[in-house]
Amino acid sequence: MSNSHSEFSRRALLRGAGLLGVGAAATACGSSFAAGVAGTAPSKESLAYWNLLGGGDGVRMVAMQQGYQKKYPNVDLKSVTLAWGNPYYTKVTLATLGDQPPDVAIAHLTRASILANADLLEPLDQSELEPYGLIEQNFTPAAWQKAHTNGQLYAIPLDTHPFVMYYNTDVCKKAGLLNKDGTLKDMDGPDALVEAMTAAKKVTGAYGGVAAVSDFATQWRMFSSLYWQQNAAFLGSDGTQIVIDDAKAEKALAYLQNLTKVKKLMPTNIDYGGATTLFASGKAGFYFEGDWEVTTFITAKTHFSMTRFPNVFGGRYAVQADSHSFVLPKDSARDAAKRKVIFQFIRSMMDQSATWAAGGHIPAWLPFQKSAAYDKIKPQSEYKGVANFAHYDEPGWFSGSGSDFENITGSAIGAVSAGQISPASAVSEMRTKLTKYANTPTPV
Amino acid sequence: MAIQTLPLDAGAPVRAATGHHSRRREDTRAGWGLATPFLVLYGLFLIVPTLYGVVMSFFNSSLVHNGLGGFAGPDNYMEALKSSDFWSSMWHTVLFTLMTVPPLVVVALVLAMFTDRLKRGRWFYRLIFFAPYVIPSASAALIWTWLYTPQLGLWDKWLTDIGITPPNWLADPNWAMASVALMTVWWTLGFNFVLYLAGLQEIPRELYEAASVDGASPWVQLRYITIPLLRRTTALVLVLQIIASLKIFDQIYLMTSGGPNFATRPVLEYVYDIGFTDFRTGYTAAASMLYFLVILVVSLTWYVINRRQQKEA
Amino acid sequence: MAATTLASRIRTRPAAASRSTDWRFRYFNWFCVSVLVVFAAIWIIPLIWAVDTSLKPDGEIATNPTTWWSGHFTLHAYRTVVNGGNIGTWYLNSFLVALASAVFAVVICSMAGFAMSQTRFRGRQLIFALIAAGLLIPSQVLIVPMFKEFNLVHLLNTYWALILPSVAVPICVLIFAAFFNGIPSELAESAHVDGASWFRIYRTIYMPLTKPAISAVFIFTFVWKWNDFLWPLLVMTNPRTMTLPVGLSQVSSAYGIQYAEIMASAVLGALPLLVVFLLFQRRIVEGVATTGIK
Repeated sequence: MSNSHSEFSRRALLRGAGLLGVGAAATACGSSFAAGVAGTAPSKESLAYWNLLGGGDGVRMVAMQQGYQKKYPNVDLKSVTLAWGNPYYTKVTLATLGDQPPDVAIAHLTRASILANADLLEPLDQSELEPYGLIEQNFTPAAWQKAHTNGQLYAIPLDTHPFVMYYNTDVCKKAGLLNKDGTLKDMDGPDALVEAMTAAKKVTGAYGGVAAVSDFATQWRMFSSLYWQQNAAFLGSDGTQIVIDDAKAEKALAYLQNLTKVKKLMPTNIDYGGATTLFASGKAGFYFEGDWEVTTFITAKTHFSMTRFPNVFGGRYAVQADSHSFVLPKDSARDAAKRKVIFQFIRSMMDQSATWAAGGHIPAWLPFQKSAAYDKIKPQSEYKGVANFAHYDEPGWFSGSGSDFENITGSAIGAVSAGQISPASAVSEMRTKLTKYANTPTPV
Repeated sequence: MAIQTLPLDAGAPVRAATGHHSRRREDTRAGWGLATPFLVLYGLFLIVPTLYGVVMSFFNSSLVHNGLGGFAGPDNYMEALKSSDFWSSMWHTVLFTLMTVPPLVVVALVLAMFTDRLKRGRWFYRLIFFAPYVIPSASAALIWTWLYTPQLGLWDKWLTDIGITPPNWLADPNWAMASVALMTVWWTLGFNFVLYLAGLQEIPRELYEAASVDGASPWVQLRYITIPLLRRTTALVLVLQIIASLKIFDQIYLMTSGGPNFATRPVLEYVYDIGFTDFRTGYTAAASMLYFLVILVVSLTWYVINRRQQKEA
Repeated sequence: MAATTLASRIRTRPAAASRSTDWRFRYFNWFCVSVLVVFAAIWIIPLIWAVDTSLKPDGEIATNPTTWWSGHFTLHAYRTVVNGGNIGTWYLNSFLVALASAVFAVVICSMAGFAMSQTRFRGRQLIFALIAAGLLIPSQVLIVPMFKEFNLVHLLNTYWALILPSVAVPICVLIFAAFFNGIPSELAESAHVDGASWFRIYRTIYMPLTKPAISAVFIFTFVWKWNDFLWPLLVMTNPRTMTLPVGLSQVSSAYGIQYAEIMASAVLGALPLLVVFLLFQRRIVEGVATTGIK
């Protein structure tokens, strides 16, 4: 899961993921004694796979694993699902240091590069990947490039998951915000969005739009999209420098505060679950979040569609995003045969991109991304062009999805959205706190 | 009991020293021989890590690199002392201690005193109160997380039934710590209860009987006989409980992961997060040392008080 | 003498002497019993509730989570957990680790305790100071350097990573030393005169007389290792090498909202020691109280 999902979707959907985890986890008791005493590796035909996917993503991943098992019944796939965020990466790190890592694991690309810098991932070799078609030409260029660390490939991207804009089609229709073909009118530019939300607010009687305020990551995603659209950077020199452009950052923050506190178009105090509920129940015309809440709103039978986050400040288009990817944690016991099984597995996941795309993520696998079949998955494919404009969190040992960096920035931004502090003081708070990290000798 | 009666000064009143040279040599050989297995393991897994930790705290050591890394001097300590995250985790640790120690001592004392008065069925209450203590923290945490589950949990149902709106136990920053503390009281009370029961056995029955003859009420007896005579047990229970509470990690990690929004993260979880997620082992070694100082102060304070009491006695 | 006095205290407890028939005592006793009954009920409810939940079908929990009675009590959740999960492996791991730790601790600490108590060897005072200092160091502050140490020798994810650090525990040595101090030294003297080696004296004369200390140290180490969490969480990352508490810490992400399965896991996790505790209540209570320092 790429985000802290609402309680609702997590509860409803984890069940499926759990069942698989348990089913696949059945192991022979006898060999565990040997494993405990001598630290021996599990038997050959098994494939240990860790992921952090919960909610709808978890259910779809389970389906894909079943697809894989159907095709390769001789491989004993053992999947483990762990809670996302820092705890997940901690577990991957500990397991890798403990020399018993999973054979293959999901990692966000922003986190994969940190793991690679820490020498915890195995470099991937082009010639080795070629037989499986896992080559540059088959992947979204931005994701493929981000999968490299210091010029070396370490990860195979599965998708791109950008920050997007959900809109309630009933509300927007009544507010006159839809084109004749039912798509949303152009929302680019600083005023269009404000006007649209003002109109939507009249229809809903409550709010024009909503984004989770107490969820730091959400706040960071929204702010950074606005900030990067002004062609500015946040971290420099691999996170050793803070290069915030104060004026641009304050402009983006002021824009957020204008939507919440000043114009009351969006709530000033709402958590993640509350935000999804508000949108699902039609009390907000727009909802801003990563692309992964599709399942929630389909399940809730909300009349909605999605589009790319608008280009508010008119610079080169940019939107905050990250990618799930497959990585191979370092394992001294892994041989060539095992690597083949792993690549076969990854390829099988790519071949099931249709299943994955249904969850809202833009598949990185171009043979599918460019297919007509993908275009038919709506509204999930409406914003596919965004993949090439994905802006990843800038590199740094404390940066990336679910990191300290997102917590620090997000809490300051959230305070601005909540109307508690001014944009200027938020910028100085971020700078002060991040400088401490930037000045710390990098531990990776 | 435990430390109090242990020979901390090594004053074993054993054999009169025979003074023979050969005997002394033989003793030395045998002594070292018998103690060696222990000393090797003790050295490897207590002394070495301690020294390693001290050294590491002055370097920019990383979890994922061998060697100590660059020399940092006192930087790590300065950083920890200036870090609001570190201090808030210290405060959470202390807060948890403040919330758990009084009920764990007082309730255990009262229940033990009451149980001690029973003519039969004492074993039954010992069983009930001590049973949770043998449950692994993970089991206890799973059970209580279920009890605390909003809307579905038993506590919510009961409070709703009597017309109280239940708090959002583990998800509300103002309630999360109290919720974990409540679970901890349930989980570990039995230990103190048992220590108190043992202490109560020491009190001569005749004292009560004499008091009864003098017409002292039960309250007076508890107040002026039992509680004063349990002073040493209370001192022991208190220090063990303070130290145990200061070591809080399991329940919080399992039930709130230090959340919501770090509102419950104790020092040990701070160490876990910074050391094993951010890889900054040098810095966490320094933070661990500062935390160790706190525990050391508590232990030594108790030791001094105990010494003084023994001298007075 | 910690071990002996405590043991005798608990065992030779006279029944509460007949007190005055004063009405105050009668009312007060009623009051005590009422308080105890209320608290006992509060204490037992979470456990019964866990068992109750684990025996209900998941569907019923979803629709009616807080009723005690179910028309369809089932062992389904237990079957799922036992057949589907790793809990058997975790039991085995926990058991082997706890057993090995306890045995090693008894052997190694009793030898050291004997040396401290009965032989006047050169350097004894120094070692004593070292051990006493060790009492003050909580193992929790050593997790970072200890992890690096085990990483260096490639013993992470092995039983050794759990066993080795739990063998050399100062308090166990002190318990044994205290106990040996209580045994008349003439025993050793005469055996020595007869030409017995120190090791023989330790093994054949002293150890058989030390059963309460042995059981205290054994029980203490076993329970401690069985329930230990932080260190195993760090070093046992493979589901096949995990101990019970570490494995259990992951079941909620595996089962999601299947509360029956989660509670079944919790109950299964709690069960072994609860059963052992029921069988050896007195002994365990003594053991834990004696070693109360941990």
